Parts: sequence; structure tokens; C-alpha cells
Amino acid sequence: MSTLTLEASAPALLDARPWPARVAAGWDQLWLLVRWQLLRSKESLPLLVLVQLLLAVSTVIGYGLVVGDPGPIGGLYLATGAPTVTLVMVGLVMTPQAVAQARTEGSLDWMRTLPVPRGLFLVADLLVWTAIALPGMVVGLLVGAWRFDVDLSPTWWIVPGALVVSLTAAAVGYAVATLLAPTLAQLVSQVFVFLIMLFSPVCFPADRLAPWAQHLHQWLPFQPMAEVMRAGLAPHAFTLPARSVVVLLVWCVLAVAGAAAALRRRA
Amino acid sequence: MDEVLRVEGLHKRFGRGPGAVAANAGIDLTVGAGQVVGLLGHNGAGKSTLVNQVVGLLRPDAGRITLAGIDAVARPDLARRLASVQAQANVPITGLTPLRAVELVGLIRGGRPDAVRARAAALIDALDLGEWASTPAEKVSGGVARLAAFAMALVVPGRLVVLDEPTNDVDPVRRRLLWNQIRALADEGAGVLLVTHNVREAERVVDHLAILDHGVVLAADTPAALTAARGGELTLEVDLLPDRTPTWPSALTVVDRGRLRATAVVTQARAADVVGWASDELAAGRIERYALTPTSLEDAYVDLVEPAADDDATAGPAHQTTHITTEKTTDEESAA
Repeated sequence: MSTLTLEASAPALLDARPWPARVAAGWDQLWLLVRWQLLRSKESLPLLVLVQLLLAVSTVIGYGLVVGDPGPIGGLYLATGAPTVTLVMVGLVMTPQAVAQARTEGSLDWMRTLPVPRGLFLVADLLVWTAIALPGMVVGLLVGAWRFDVDLSPTWWIVPGALVVSLTAAAVGYAVATLLAPTLAQLVSQVFVFLIMLFSPVCFPADRLAPWAQHLHQWLPFQPMAEVMRAGLAPHAFTLPARSVVVLLVWCVLAVAGAAAALRRRA
Repeated sequence: MDEVLRVEGLHKRFGRGPGAVAANAGIDLTVGAGQVVGLLGHNGAGKSTLVNQVVGLLRPDAGRITLAGIDAVARPDLARRLASVQAQANVPITGLTPLRAVELVGLIRGGRPDAVRARAAALIDALDLGEWASTPAEKVSGGVARLAAFAMALVVPGRLVVLDEPTNDVDPVRRRLLWNQIRALADEGAGVLLVTHNVREAERVVDHLAILDHGVVLAADTPAALTAARGGELTLEVDLLPDRTPTWPSALTVVDRGRLRATAVVTQARAADVVGWASDELAAGRIERYALTPTSLEDAYVDLVEPAADDDATAGPAHQTTHITTEKTTDEESAA
């Protein structure tokens, strides 16, 4: 017992640790946090994955019903839109709901008393939520390719691209959940659902929107997110404008900084 | 003695304008290595606000918090390494078992895997939780969950261990085991800040007590010194019989008289006389029962906070001491 007390306690020891040791400790903590979160939600995990699967598949099939025969380009929009919707929904809708619940039940405050760098909470949650979104993303993609008979040729950078999309969405969701009161955060996340599903140029081209909405979407992250996924999955049909990359990266940096600040905040 | 925690002039207000609440209004407090310091105070006295500032969940408006020589306000990240906390609210661990939760927290706090496993098993054993160690948390009682949260704070303890109401929901047998662990922890060299309402039991393990009321420390001393203020008085409790009136001796000051219960203050010198009188009354069938008890820490605590807590229905102090405390505190106030 005494060895434990001393080991965990001496500040001199802690501060004197070299950088590699600190990074290694950070990795260990990250996986431990991921384990903690996965075990804590293991009962609801299969259900969450299933919901994501249904969401992705119904985005493909449902939009197909609405638009009829979409044609090759329309089909590509729908097939690439489904995984984008899944990723963004997890970040913007499920993350705030989970964080709001953790705040209400008191686990967030308790976790914050642990000696863990604040950013690791964000990264651990992000990994868990991305893992939950992954099956839906892949299945949505396959169903879309089959349903609309389109050719997809994913590029290597779709993986980092999808991670940036996922990170940005989750960080915005995190910031919403920590800055707003839990009930309000849940409401805002509901608003995100129809805002993304119906009024963001994810599953359809931006020129179908009113000019003012098109202009707005040039500054919001949803269109760039969709463009990254589209160009990454079907590079023969879509290009990724440099402006979109910049807009998305700026959102990513701001959202992660905002979420990290929200986690560090001391009232 | 090494100082683990030093709190100086701590101020924290919530809200603005006339509706603002001064949760901490200038708190001074120290906890030494190997010392258990009890923090007593009724609901809303500012205990949890103080705790949350120590571990960097709240930022003080003014004042200093030094944790093992480190400025905890400037470096909350280091403060969290130096302090481990059992929060007042239960830690939700659904999906985990008590043993798994304790082990994971030990690893997250940076303990070596083999040491954490051994320590977690030892704590589960010492708290007699073996029966539930591998039961999913959603199936264990509130008391077991509370003990699991206690073990999470102790598995890789900080130099300071903060325990906020650790005995809530815990059965009497395991409460004793818990107190033993707290004492053992301090004997190993940790400083323990113990927030509790359970004054009677805490009396046995605390070395030092701070009584908090309306955001300030009303008194801070050893339990013996705090009770000594009542000058060796004893309390006589008498259970009365319906329709019978005992013949009270003239020297006895009855401080509270209910329908079936009376309480009186007795000086040490008159204790033998009073016991003789009470035995006679009992033999004559004019009272049902009597008990003579020393002044407890709880009495001293109620003495100190009673006037301030009058309007606080949740404070719930023992009502029989109302009259004594009012007199005493008035004296103290005029002396001050």
C-alpha cells in the first residue's frame, strides 16, 4: 500500500518524467478511457450500432424513394451522402446527447477529477463514437453502391478525411453539450437532425438551395464535410475545392479548441 | 508534520448582484500528512464548493490553495494528480463490476497493473465486498456502489484524499470497515479531508475538525478541544410516562421538555446525585427510562451552528439541545 501511495503522489517524480514517458502514459490512459466508456455503454452499444446502420441504409433507400430514379450523378450524391450523414449525426446528435446524459448523472464531473489531460476525454469519446458509426458508414456505402449501381473508387485519403469530418462533428457536438444546459443541448441536437438531413447539401447538389442558403453553406462545415467524403469516395466524378478544405480545417481547429476549452473550464 | 493541503482566504461566490450566494467567504484550512481532518457543516455550508476548488473543477474568486507545495489554482492538472476524490454524488458505473471499476480507476490514475490488482483486491476484501466484486453495478445496492466509489478514491491514493460523505447508504458493519480504511490511509501518510454529517462516527477517526457554516470556518480544533468548551457537562435524557409527572430536583436544569421525553444538563459534580434521583423515580414508576451521556462532538457541533441553521430545515440537529445552544452562542457573540 505504501508503495502505491508514494508512487502516485510525488510531484517531483511526475514533473521529472521525460516526454516519451509522458506520451506513453497518455496512450495508456487513452485506451483505459476507451475501455471505460465501452464497458459503461456495453448494454446500449449493439443498439446504437444498429441505429446507425438503419440510419445509413434508410438515408440511401429513403432518399431514393423521394427522388425516384436519380441518374448516375444523383445516385453518387446519395451513395456518398449516406456515410457522411452517419458520421455527422454521430458527432452532432449522439455525442451531445451522451455528454448531456453524463452531465446529468454526474459522471462527467467525477471523471474530470481524474488526473487525465482534458483533451484525452475528447479523443476517447471520439474513438468510441467513430467506432459506433463505422459499421453504418460501410454498410450505407455498400447498399448505396448496389441500389444506385454506381462505381466507387475510394482514395487513400478518405480515411484521414473521414476522421477529420468525424472529429469536427464530434467536437462541435461536445462544445454544444458542455456550453449549453443539458436539456437545451438535447433540443439543439434534435434541430441538427433535420438541418443536416434536409437543408444541407450533403445528399444533393448545393445549387438546389436558395442563393442565400448556398452562401451560408459556404461558411458552415456541412458542405465541406460532404465534399470531402464525395471526392474521397468517387474522385472520378467529384473534386474537392481547396476552399472547402480550408473551411473544414478551420472549423475542425475551432471546434476542437472550443471543446477542449469547455472541458478545461472552471466555473 | 508535512502540510498536504493549505487553504487560505478562499472566496467563491455564485451568481451576481443581490441574489449572489457567497458559498465560501474566506476559508482557512490545513491538512497535514497522516492527518484526518473532518469538515462538518449543514447542507449548503460550502463544503462541496471547497472540495471542487481543491481539485480544479471550480476557480476561486480569491484566496490560495496549496497542495503538497503546488499552487492548485494555477496548476489544476497537478492538483488532480496529487488529490484523489470520492464525490458526494454516486459515480455511475453501470456496465462495470465494482472490482473492474476500481482496477480501471487505479490504472487511469497511473498505478502499475500488478500493484493495482493487488490493492483493488485488498480493498474489496477489507470492505467485505467480495460477494459483489464481480456483480454488474446495476445489480448492486446503493451502499455497495458507495463503497466501490470509496475504493476508487483509495486504490491509487493521492497525497490528499478527499472523501465527500463516504458513509451514505452504507450499513453499520461496513461503515466500521470504511472508518478503519480511512484511518489506515492516514497512517500510511496521506492527508485525508473528510466531509461528513456523520459526526458521531467520524469522532473516532478524525484528528482535527473544521466546522463550516455559511462559507466560513466557525471553529477548527481537535475533537477533544471542541467538546471541552462545554466544560465536562453531561446530558440526562428521561423518557416520561403518560399521565405521570416526576418530581424534578431543584438543581436540575431541564432544557427541553416534550410530552414523553425530557432533556437536562448535568454538571460532573452532580452526576451521582442525579443518577440516584433518576433510579428512585424509575423504581417508583414515575419515569420509563433514563440515560446519562457525555457531551458529544455532535452536541458541540450543533452548539456552534445552531443559530445560523435555525431557518434551514435540512440541518436537522437534535432538538433537545436548542435551549442550551441559544444561551451559549449568545454568550459567545457578546464576548466576541
